[in-house]
Amino acid sequence: MQGEARAQLSATLVFIGAALLVAGQTPVWTLAIALACAVWRLLIALGRLPAPQLRKGMRFLFGAVTALLVGGVLLSFRTLNGLAAGTALLTLMGALKLLESKSRRDDAIAIGVSLFLLLAAGLGNQTLLRLPLYLLLLWGACAAMMIVAHAGSTLPVRAAMRLSARALLMAAPLAAACFLLFPRFSGQFWALPRGGEATVGLSDEMSPGAIDKLVAEYDPAFRVRFEGPPPPPDARYWRGPVLNSFDGFTWRRAPRNYVSAPLEFLGEPLRYRVTLEPTSRNWIFALDTVVDRPQRGMFMSHDRQITRPEPVYEAFSYDAVSHLETRATAPLSVLGRRYETELPSNRNPRALALARELRGTVASDAEYARVALDWFERNGLEYTLEPDPTGLDSVDSVLFDTKRGFCGHFASAYATLMRAVGVPARVVTGYLGGEWNPIGQYFIVRQSDAHAWTEIWLEGKGWTRIDPTAVVAPERLRAGLYDVLGDASAPVGLTLSRYAWLGSIARAWDGANQWWRDRVLDFNLRAQLGFLRNLGIEAPDWRHLGWGFAGALTLWLLWVAFTLRRSVARVKPDRIARAWLKATRKLAKVAPPRAASEGAMNYAARVAALHPAIAAEVRSVAERYTLLRFGPNPRSEDIAALEREVSRLSV
Amino acid sequence: MLSAVRERLSFASTWRQSLRRYAADWARRRQGEDRLPITISTRRVYILPTRGGMAFAMLLFIMLLAGLNYSNSTALLITFMLTGFGLIAMHLTHRNLTGVVARGLATGDAFAGEHGRLSVTLESSGNARFGIECEVEGSPRVAVDLRETGSARADLPLLLEKRGRLTIGRVKLSTTFPFGLFHAWTYLHAPVSLLAWPVPRGRREPPAEAASGGDAPSVHRAGDEEWVGLREFRSGDSPRQVAWGAYARGRGLLVKTYQSPAAHYRIFDLATVNGSVESRLEQLSAWIVAAHARGERYGLNLAPLEIAPDSGNEHRRRCLDALALYGEA
Repeated sequence: MQGEARAQLSATLVFIGAALLVAGQTPVWTLAIALACAVWRLLIALGRLPAPQLRKGMRFLFGAVTALLVGGVLLSFRTLNGLAAGTALLTLMGALKLLESKSRRDDAIAIGVSLFLLLAAGLGNQTLLRLPLYLLLLWGACAAMMIVAHAGSTLPVRAAMRLSARALLMAAPLAAACFLLFPRFSGQFWALPRGGEATVGLSDEMSPGAIDKLVAEYDPAFRVRFEGPPPPPDARYWRGPVLNSFDGFTWRRAPRNYVSAPLEFLGEPLRYRVTLEPTSRNWIFALDTVVDRPQRGMFMSHDRQITRPEPVYEAFSYDAVSHLETRATAPLSVLGRRYETELPSNRNPRALALARELRGTVASDAEYARVALDWFERNGLEYTLEPDPTGLDSVDSVLFDTKRGFCGHFASAYATLMRAVGVPARVVTGYLGGEWNPIGQYFIVRQSDAHAWTEIWLEGKGWTRIDPTAVVAPERLRAGLYDVLGDASAPVGLTLSRYAWLGSIARAWDGANQWWRDRVLDFNLRAQLGFLRNLGIEAPDWRHLGWGFAGALTLWLLWVAFTLRRSVARVKPDRIARAWLKATRKLAKVAPPRAASEGAMNYAARVAALHPAIAAEVRSVAERYTLLRFGPNPRSEDIAALEREVSRLSV
Repeated sequence: MLSAVRERLSFASTWRQSLRRYAADWARRRQGEDRLPITISTRRVYILPTRGGMAFAMLLFIMLLAGLNYSNSTALLITFMLTGFGLIAMHLTHRNLTGVVARGLATGDAFAGEHGRLSVTLESSGNARFGIECEVEGSPRVAVDLRETGSARADLPLLLEKRGRLTIGRVKLSTTFPFGLFHAWTYLHAPVSLLAWPVPRGRREPPAEAASGGDAPSVHRAGDEEWVGLREFRSGDSPRQVAWGAYARGRGLLVKTYQSPAAHYRIFDLATVNGSVESRLEQLSAWIVAAHARGERYGLNLAPLEIAPDSGNEHRRRCLDALALYGEA
């Protein structure tokens, strides 16, 4: 194949690979246009189609098509700014470049565009699964660069692939050192708008049945690694959105504030690291009860609901400290008490009546809370994932009509019973439990672990967690949801993981992913400084990083220079050269060695002058060598004769 | 407006040219004159990024910014890999040139207005090398690939504009292999010169033939010469005339010589022609070419230089060289 065609072919293939990598981030029509252009170019490079003749009018047409495509991107994204729109635009422009490609420069630009697309793909999706694909494209792009740069040379494609692979492998240590030591910044220089990708997760309101939909998802919500021993399963309440306003049907989070009572933390602190999956929301999850917001920049409200300013679009990690037991050291504020006992008086009349009746039988709020729980236990409520639809008075429906409900129904009902008689209560949504991954030594908390419970205010103790589901279906506290409800309703992913070997593969893969995410993706300035601290540097700062980086770069450059120099010296001499080298080695013992620019005959003359005794032999060897080396078609027997003479040569 | 831009562009290009020339002169002062063969050492290899290399660096910078901005480890990893790759590319490009052995320079003279030739013979020490480009001022670049052993020759065509000697003081060897991101180059300062013979032009009749006895034996064989014997090899003799059989028998390097029995010759005398110096030289050149084509014997009188009558390629060349150098101090 012609060098030019080969160059076009390789650049086009790389572009196709890059376009496919960003396929998930660009609209289908963009991908279709890119692939169509690329295939057309491939067919031309392969000689299946005639190359187009560029005429004068074509330029105008080309401009028009470009404008049309930019318009198309604008229409579908409403902007040209932002990662998604930029990626789509880049894909289209690369495709157009392929259309008009006629020189090496155009091919090189196509490769450059492919590298940008690779960057976009990396920004958009950084799962471990994608990494080999990225590296593969990187390799292809480097090889293509070489093929394009030397379209006219006799270089074989395999040699280009091999040399590129070698260059990239040699670059890997530097990449690792840069990764560890290149000073990172925290914060962004500029922010591009992100598209609102729909993700599953808890929301800031809860109607009956809202959580049932969520638990059908097997996706991980977050992963947790405890520093010490993990808390028991029935204490693993992961607190999420706190809902404090009820209209009789839906619990919502109302934007109302009051001063919260200070807390006293009891018992041992639990330290852990949470890696949160993208939620497109601002919630931060922590074990009940968290001491403080995990990171600066996050916000903790009066009801210990943690949020961060920007939604979680990418998985990220934070460290938190929690205590299982707490006690409030001050009473609930008047405002707080008013807010947390508000209830529509005209809804759920039977529940309100029940509350008043139960409260009349006991002396204190704490006893009332227990009596209410007993009521839940005794009245034949059934825990189910498929509760019947409720009426507008949702609590009455669940407690007295259908008697079937899910955690959300029970939490809502219990909080209603509390508020009905003036006990401050709220509904908390979050997750309960988590699956232990023995390979990665962490818990996976899945969407299917979503849960809702209540918190009530008890004088002298403060906000106290009460989980009505625990009395309806006590086993839920210790086991996963589907262990309680049975397999029929379990998501496919969970059913598959029941087979032991499939489960262990899944766990190993999840462990590898988590390692990738913890150690690689979440590597930031703090982790860098921690790394330096492990190396024995006290109080490291960015200057240490800079020195370390410079040192690593120097070492790597020395290594590269040394490695490449050594391979330059690795010569494979042929038989003639070997024989001659052997002769010069022998002669070097009795005469100054041959200078680099000294011809064989001159050298022989010099040696002969020094040692007349072996003059004839030396001259003969040099002459044979000269004849063989520079004469036409050396014959094998002549080479053998030279070798014999060399071995007979004695000094 | 447009013309102003063009002016600035041309200013930029002359500015670049003068910078390039200044750098080359600096290298000449730094390196001194070379005697071939020479192994290209690291000391004499210069390296800079190509335009593509600059674009690549720009791309890396944008990637780095994006990676840092989004704290995106994958983007940073890709960036760092490519950075390392770029540095390796620099080493590879440098390595592709260092260790090349410049064996020798040879020239092919030609008539003025035609293309002369400068041949650069290169040899690899060790590695295969690709895309070694040779270039002298006024010639296109010619790329050669070198195998692990053996040599390769790059023939640079050089347009000879006017009669005389064209001295080439500098040969540039360069490469952008393997990735085209860096441009490594070196200068060889081994002066060689090409002769531009006068264009054979003129309609005057050649002078009449004279006659004489035999002449000295020549290594050339125009047709009717007889074999005379062997003589010692002198530098300038063609390997084709070497008596390899005698050499193999251990008699040393000898060349075969021939002698012509003919006796007729012409003397081309510059003084017999009138006109400008160049036109007179051109007429003599035309006579020489014609006489050589007919296999005649001829001599040259350029007062004070005289060349005795002879024939053959060597003689023709000697005469044309004399014409080319006429008037040179």
